[in-house]
Amino acid sequence: MRQLFKTFKVAFQAINKNRSRSLLTVLGIIIGVAAVIMTISAGEGANKEVQDQISGLGTNLVMIFTKMEHRGGSHVRMGRPIDKRDFDILQKNAVWISKMSPLVNVGVQAAGPNGYKPTIVYGVNHEYFDILSRELALGDFFKEDDVKTANKVCVIGETTRKELFADLDPIGRQIRIDKIPFTVVGLLKEVGQGAMGQDQDDVILAPYTTIQDRLYGHRRGYDMIMASALDENSVANAKIEVSELLRESHQIRPFEKDDFDVMTQVELQEITGNITGILTTLLGAIASISLIVGGIGIMNIMLVSVTERTREIGTRLAIGARESDILTQFLIEAVVLSLAGGILGTVLGIIGNQVIYKLTNFYIPTAPYSIMIGFGFAALVGIAFGYFPARKAAKLNPIDALRYE
Amino acid sequence: MANKKVIETKNLSKVFKNGDIEVHALTSINMVIEVGEFVAIMGASGSGKSTLLNILGCLDKPSEGDYYLDGVHVNKLNKNELAAIRNQKIGFIFQSYNLLSRTTALENVELPLVYNRTGKFLNPAAHAKMALEKVGLGNRIYHKTNELSGGEQQRVAIARALVNDPAIILSDEATGNLDSKASIEVADLFVKLNDQGKTIMMITHEPEIAQFAKRMIYLRDGRILTDEPIKNRSTKESALLELGLTVS
Repeated sequence: MRQLFKTFKVAFQAINKNRSRSLLTVLGIIIGVAAVIMTISAGEGANKEVQDQISGLGTNLVMIFTKMEHRGGSHVRMGRPIDKRDFDILQKNAVWISKMSPLVNVGVQAAGPNGYKPTIVYGVNHEYFDILSRELALGDFFKEDDVKTANKVCVIGETTRKELFADLDPIGRQIRIDKIPFTVVGLLKEVGQGAMGQDQDDVILAPYTTIQDRLYGHRRGYDMIMASALDENSVANAKIEVSELLRESHQIRPFEKDDFDVMTQVELQEITGNITGILTTLLGAIASISLIVGGIGIMNIMLVSVTERTREIGTRLAIGARESDILTQFLIEAVVLSLAGGILGTVLGIIGNQVIYKLTNFYIPTAPYSIMIGFGFAALVGIAFGYFPARKAAKLNPIDALRYE
Repeated sequence: MANKKVIETKNLSKVFKNGDIEVHALTSINMVIEVGEFVAIMGASGSGKSTLLNILGCLDKPSEGDYYLDGVHVNKLNKNELAAIRNQKIGFIFQSYNLLSRTTALENVELPLVYNRTGKFLNPAAHAKMALEKVGLGNRIYHKTNELSGGEQQRVAIARALVNDPAIILSDEATGNLDSKASIEVADLFVKLNDQGKTIMMITHEPEIAQFAKRMIYLRDGRILTDEPIKNRSTKESALLELGLTVS
């Protein structure tokens, strides 16, 4: 133990004597650790943002849609689409569901008094706004009557308003959606980017009846049914109930698979969590490569150092150092260098996260485990790449080492 | 009562094999060095001086024969025991000093104590200071190696060889890199240390330096050619006089 302490002192002396070289050696590790911390934190930050968005959708949310499969590169619908009959059955029989809205969407060209833009029209009913807890900035939502009579009214998002109206007040004015005039009755409150990066304000909401009549062409059924469970605790029951009702409605036999999907908000969170998790791992792995490169840098410098200090090593051996003393000394030097790099890299990574926050407003909480990974990896790299040079130093023959020029 | 033997070799031989060629570097060396002796080893290049020093310094093992250092049968020791015996019983002095660069004299002298596992030297700095004072560098303790002259550096190296209170000091061409005056001073330092009871063995090829010792062993082709006491020992004064210099 005493001996180890003395060896530590010797290693620190050696590092201190070559301060500038030590710093340059460490640079690779600093950058590597900072990169690992920043990428993992960025991934975590993105994940958190996505999760928050999904939570914002409402914890009661249940989505029901037709099962799609990839076949030869294109989406193919499996079995019967979700349609009005399904909707009615659910509305009548599902006791765990409080609110429901069909959803159909069409890509269209929208034109207003001050401009036009390609956008997506969502056909929904009056309950949709409650299910997704969307709020209004101006005007009103359309009503049950508008849905029943397939009125040509719509509620628009902030991005759409800017493009179509510029400075004009949109309420009560008309826009043309694929040349069909609609009256704007409400403007949605701005909510910003959605979970997958889409602009949630670039939207037009209209009664689904109108959309199906006027814009939907020959397509059958709905794209989706959005529903709210009674409360947070009934989501699981709601899912089972919906599945059973739909299997009955679609006449699916017991051994056959569902031809529809029911997804809850929790499941959506899990799926997106998986996606962002993979992304984070990938980013972290790429950043780790720079750490390995940094480690090779340390090995390189340590090898040079061993050659340069051959005489010193010979002297140490001659005056009574054991091979293990020399091995430990050089190993400590390598590990201390990489740990120092780990510390500086962590500081740099945290500062980098702050700088990114200041510049882009994208808040990255520095994930504590990213520090552990970065740090642990740095130490590992130090030991792994320090061992070879250290062994080389310890195995030197003192007689040759003393005469080395 | 006979003096204690510091070094005793019995039929010591060393053969280097290089492929099919065998080189007999040392052939049946028998020598005894007792406590308090001051021996100079001389010989031409290739006479086996360095090989002998490596073996006596426990850096190398003999091919044949036995070697006893301060009563320890060195042949039987393993690597770590050899390291320990070098650390505790031998003080090395090299031609090119072999000090740590950019390091203070004090730290250099402390170095052997860093590797001393006996726990005998609890205050390395104090021991190192004492050793530096013995070689007349009490005022240079915190100077770094590169701030010292060649003669001073060699005296730091001598202090390093003294600090562990070894059974014998082994010097390998200690004056080889020094000018005449510094050489004489180093030789004079050896004489003084010897007068204080230190056993010293020095390899040199400079006859004037060898003349400071008490006994001279002359090697030729790996064998001891002559081994006799020196009659007209040089002193610092006589050597300087010979060089035409006066005592400063």
